[in-house]
Amino acid sequence: MLKLENLTATVGEEDEAKTIINGLSLEVPAGEVHAIMGPNGAGKSTLSYVLTGRDGYEVTGGSASLEGIDLLDMDPEERAAKGLFLSFQYPVEVPGVPVMTFVRTAMNAQRKLRGEPEISAPDFIKKSRELGAQLNLTSDMLKRPLNVGFSGGEKKRLEIFQMMMLEPRFAILDETDSGLDIDALRTVSDGVNALRSPERGMLVITHYQRLLDHIKPDKVHVLANGKIIKTGGPELALRLEEEGYDGVLGEAA
Amino acid sequence: MTVSMDALKDKFRNPGSAELELIARYAMLPGSSQRERAFEAFAETGLPHRRMEAWKWTDFKAALKQVEASKNAADNAALAAPGQSVIEFTPDGVVLPDNVPAGIKLHERNEAQALGAAEEVPLGAMTAALSGRVGGLDTLIIEVNEPTEQPLHIVTRGDRGETNFARVAVIVRPGASLDLIESHLGGAGFSSFLIELGMQEGGAVSRTILQRGKTDEAQAITAVVTLGEKSEYTQTALAFGAKVARLETRLKHQESGSHATLNGAYLCASGYHADFTSHVRHGAPSSITRQVTKGAVLDGGTGVFQGKFLVPRTVGQHTDADMQHQALLLEDGAEVFAKPELEIYADDVECAHGNTSGALDPNQLFYMRQRGIPEAEARALLTEAFVAEALEEASETAQEALLDAARRFLTDSVR
Ligand SMILES: Nc1ncnc2c1ncn2[C@@H]1O[C@H](COP(=O)(O)OP(=O)(O)OP(=O)(O)O)[C@@H](O)[C@H]1O
Ligand SMILES: [Mg+2]
Repeated sequence: MLKLENLTATVGEEDEAKTIINGLSLEVPAGEVHAIMGPNGAGKSTLSYVLTGRDGYEVTGGSASLEGIDLLDMDPEERAAKGLFLSFQYPVEVPGVPVMTFVRTAMNAQRKLRGEPEISAPDFIKKSRELGAQLNLTSDMLKRPLNVGFSGGEKKRLEIFQMMMLEPRFAILDETDSGLDIDALRTVSDGVNALRSPERGMLVITHYQRLLDHIKPDKVHVLANGKIIKTGGPELALRLEEEGYDGVLGEAA
Repeated sequence: MTVSMDALKDKFRNPGSAELELIARYAMLPGSSQRERAFEAFAETGLPHRRMEAWKWTDFKAALKQVEASKNAADNAALAAPGQSVIEFTPDGVVLPDNVPAGIKLHERNEAQALGAAEEVPLGAMTAALSGRVGGLDTLIIEVNEPTEQPLHIVTRGDRGETNFARVAVIVRPGASLDLIESHLGGAGFSSFLIELGMQEGGAVSRTILQRGKTDEAQAITAVVTLGEKSEYTQTALAFGAKVARLETRLKHQESGSHATLNGAYLCASGYHADFTSHVRHGAPSSITRQVTKGAVLDGGTGVFQGKFLVPRTVGQHTDADMQHQALLLEDGAEVFAKPELEIYADDVECAHGNTSGALDPNQLFYMRQRGIPEAEARALLTEAFVAEALEEASETAQEALLDAARRFLTDSVR
């Protein structure tokens, strides 16, 4: 499903461009959920921006494809329409655009790019009510401008709300657990698990093993210095929790 | 009128051919002392131009080499809905509605006492001197005697004429209220509208304005507003500009406790120029002014904001005034000029102002694109949300139409 081969990418303006992703290879087959863990500054968020096509992140080598389609040639919106979704580590405030308006615009824009008809107003409202209730987002909250003045945890819930509304083929969750209280961690995880399906893949970036108790990964990768340096099963996350990166990476080096 | 053209010409310094045509028009109109006074005031400056401080960014003299018919029909999108009460000004004269809202009286006058300040604005003076026609009325007086609910619309459309000049005076009696909606649709080479609005104690006026023009047209919308005790004036304007377009408002808090809101938004595509200029005098204690002006400009477009609050020491105590101007430069080559001014002599006041211009936030754009919203649509949506704040206080009757007009423009022009 998602296939990255020897990917290298730089961040920053031309003369100050810095290589952050440095020969990264990774494959997430359809139906699987993989976790990425790694020290601060390892390049985890950078990887998510490279894959979603953010300006200023330049791929200098290797390849990245989703279901065999080259991602790197496409605009961010085309990648989204192909089903790639990023839950941002730091969700962005969009002043003046209510959550509902935003999600509906996004949903219909994606459908249009895919050549599908728009969602009907009643269907949209029904679906947003159901998912909002599931994530403890009140209808008043969904009328407010997106992310403006929302608490850290609320913003993360709104990211997952958007994901569940948009039903992407492949989702990258960048530290969605940070800022969530204990109950919210459970509701968000339930939402994520509800989306697990044989056609869908996910990459879950996290620092904490706790999330992986709720969202059981098929594999755990350790990303350091811009590449995957260790891959294992769920038990790798537990080992990292106990021994720290020094312990585990010392052995890898 | 039996004045010689030469004598009239001599009142101007270096009249250009556009001014000569305006002088010739004046000579044909029925004379009156009011009209003469306005003409003298106009002759002081002629068509305003860049060497005058208040007009340095908006040069009517340069834009109006000649008074020529517009090649364009007026825009059709008036804010008025069918069945509503509409006063329409065209080069052929004025058409009054049969269904004037209860509580309002319309008087046609050949002379109207100017509020005075009109003559301080060159294009106000010009309009006062040149509105009207032989055998027609000069000024329409709108007398509002009661609180009124039904909106009153004014539409100006140029019908491919050379000029379309109109003058309106509004008198709002104590406790009376008016929902005034104006659509200035261009369509003449030179359109100018002057409105003088006097509000008496406890009066309330909501004034909502749409301005549209074309790149071969000059347009001026000049308002002189006087606020009586505890009166309330709310103005919301949406301007798309023209070759030059100026919306100028001179407002005076004459008695204490009055409240003014002066909001506006300009959206300028290539070749369009929109100027919001205002002068607010806190000539009485404990009055409030709130002003929010927003703009979004594309490559080759020009936006101008000039705002001034004047708070004299002796009369302006306890003034509460806030002026905000924020502009979005949507593309390289977009131009915005801004001059916010607070001139405050009273010491016990709360006055603030803010002025920013910049581009859209790339983080917001990326976030939206990641969700599948194409870049142009994301830019249009963010710009609409930005501008909408300045239209929030518009009359309920016209707010949706204003937002639609802004949205249509942004959807069509933002890349
Ligand atoms: N625009 C930039 N210019 C220069 N360096 C950058 C830029 N953006 C990111 N970096 C650097 O790239 C490195 C990787 O950053 P990234 O945000 O991907 O880390 P991360 O693995 O997500 O860390 P964390 O766990 O703290 O979220 C960091 O050292 C960061 O300072
Ligand atoms: Mg990160």
